[in-house]
Amino acid sequence: MSAALDLPFLQRALAAGILVGLATSFLGVFVVIRRSAFFGDAVAHASLAGVALGVVTGLPPLPVAAGVGVGIGLALNRFERRSRLPIDTILGFVLPFFMGAGILILSLAPGYQPELLSYLFGSILAVGPESLAAIAAIVLVAAPLLLRYRGALVFATFDPDGARVSGIRVDRLLVLYQVLLAAVVVASIKVVGIVLVNALLVIPAATAKMVARSVRQMFLLAPILGVGCVLAGLAASYGLDLPSGPSIAVTAGLLFLAVWAYVSGRRASALKGART
Amino acid sequence: MHALEVSDLTVRFEGQELPAVASVSFTLEEGTIAVLIGPNGSGKSTVLKAILGLVPYEGTVRVFGGPVGASYPRIGYVPQRLAFDQTLPLTAREAIRLPLPRRPREEDEDSFRHVTRILGIEPILDRPLGALSGGQWKRVLLARALVTRPRLLLLDEPEAGIDVTGEETIYGFLEHLVAEERITALVCSHELELVTEYADVVLCLNRRLLGSGAPEKVLTPESLSSLFGATPALYLHHHEAHRHGAAPRGSLL
Repeated sequence: MSAALDLPFLQRALAAGILVGLATSFLGVFVVIRRSAFFGDAVAHASLAGVALGVVTGLPPLPVAAGVGVGIGLALNRFERRSRLPIDTILGFVLPFFMGAGILILSLAPGYQPELLSYLFGSILAVGPESLAAIAAIVLVAAPLLLRYRGALVFATFDPDGARVSGIRVDRLLVLYQVLLAAVVVASIKVVGIVLVNALLVIPAATAKMVARSVRQMFLLAPILGVGCVLAGLAASYGLDLPSGPSIAVTAGLLFLAVWAYVSGRRASALKGART
Repeated sequence: MHALEVSDLTVRFEGQELPAVASVSFTLEEGTIAVLIGPNGSGKSTVLKAILGLVPYEGTVRVFGGPVGASYPRIGYVPQRLAFDQTLPLTAREAIRLPLPRRPREEDEDSFRHVTRILGIEPILDRPLGALSGGQWKRVLLARALVTRPRLLLLDEPEAGIDVTGEETIYGFLEHLVAEERITALVCSHELELVTEYADVVLCLNRRLLGSGAPEKVLTPESLSSLFGATPALYLHHHEAHRHGAAPRGSLL
């Protein structure tokens, strides 16, 4: 394995995995506490339209997808405020419409599109220098903003009125959150794919929530778990010759199940102890 | 300068024919406790939210002579209830510190220590909010509202969901704050006993302001009957009887 680490493609895969693992699982804490998992899923699926535009026009697909994802994030915020429809209904429109449009646009490109599968299910081992640069740019912009506004976002989630009275511009903050979420989701597409994006966005944060004793602990634990899942999934993928995206998703899922079983078992023992 | 000046306040909600509150005007001087009373649906919470700038309104609201936004975060707000995920591991300490700056100054830390000590919540600071009782939860919300050292405090039914001892703790603390730190408090309440005991000014609201003034002048059987549509039923608050050895005052059922 150590010799394998000298391989440039594996170095890029590791760098992309660590960057995406950190950013998605940290952002995932907000996704879990704001209950906006469907938002990330919808933006990921809808960004296929951006990938398709990139493939058809010959532009780098990931930056185009990032532009489309952020555009959809902004439009959703506006639409949610102006429409009388609940957000899950709006997302139920966005996901199939843009994904369908993406597949239709791809069908215009001549010949077989092998890249499509890598965007749908991830292909971390195929991350090129261009994609790594796009991922790094997104994460390096998103990370300081998330760190800076972490407390305000928690406040706006927990008590929006209280946050407003404290002088926080809640509406602007939520626009920023949705834009960052859209950008980070698109950055993670190469790692886990459009279909499995919630593996990194939701599972590490949800696992952290089960054991954390404070929101601060959740923010510390989720990125550790996220990066751990990426590295373990990547190792399994390399060692067992398995597809990388599904390996990362299954690793994260197994970790979630193990922690859930441990926490449930402990709770059951505590209840039993209290009865006797 | 008035602590709070509300002039011709009208709030209309979309799709509703009648305004939720209409032409409400009053002023509060610094260092007073004012209590807004009225039946359910009379617009008490709406008036508070309009003052805070949380709902659109017509009319004028001035806090210490300026627009309300200029006074953030020197306005503290304690909501009646807060719908949040009970499984969220947000601790009382984290909840109280939410309004503080990212890098708190020494005076913020002093304020945090002061409010948590005086409200008696130091032992529960590291407990998640979902594990707190109604009274503990209310004290945490009050601490959060006070940690920024507000000059104006708005409380929406602070006694809702807590027992008699909890009510006394909160109102007693409020009285202390007003006396010692010259805070101005506007409280929505159903508790006539507490109103008569602690309020300097009572505002009777039923979509419109029907009367205002000192409790003994405003809380007459006639005015209460006109406000609530009938003479309110009363129940005994034992602690009051024990404390003063006198006949208890009433609370709305």
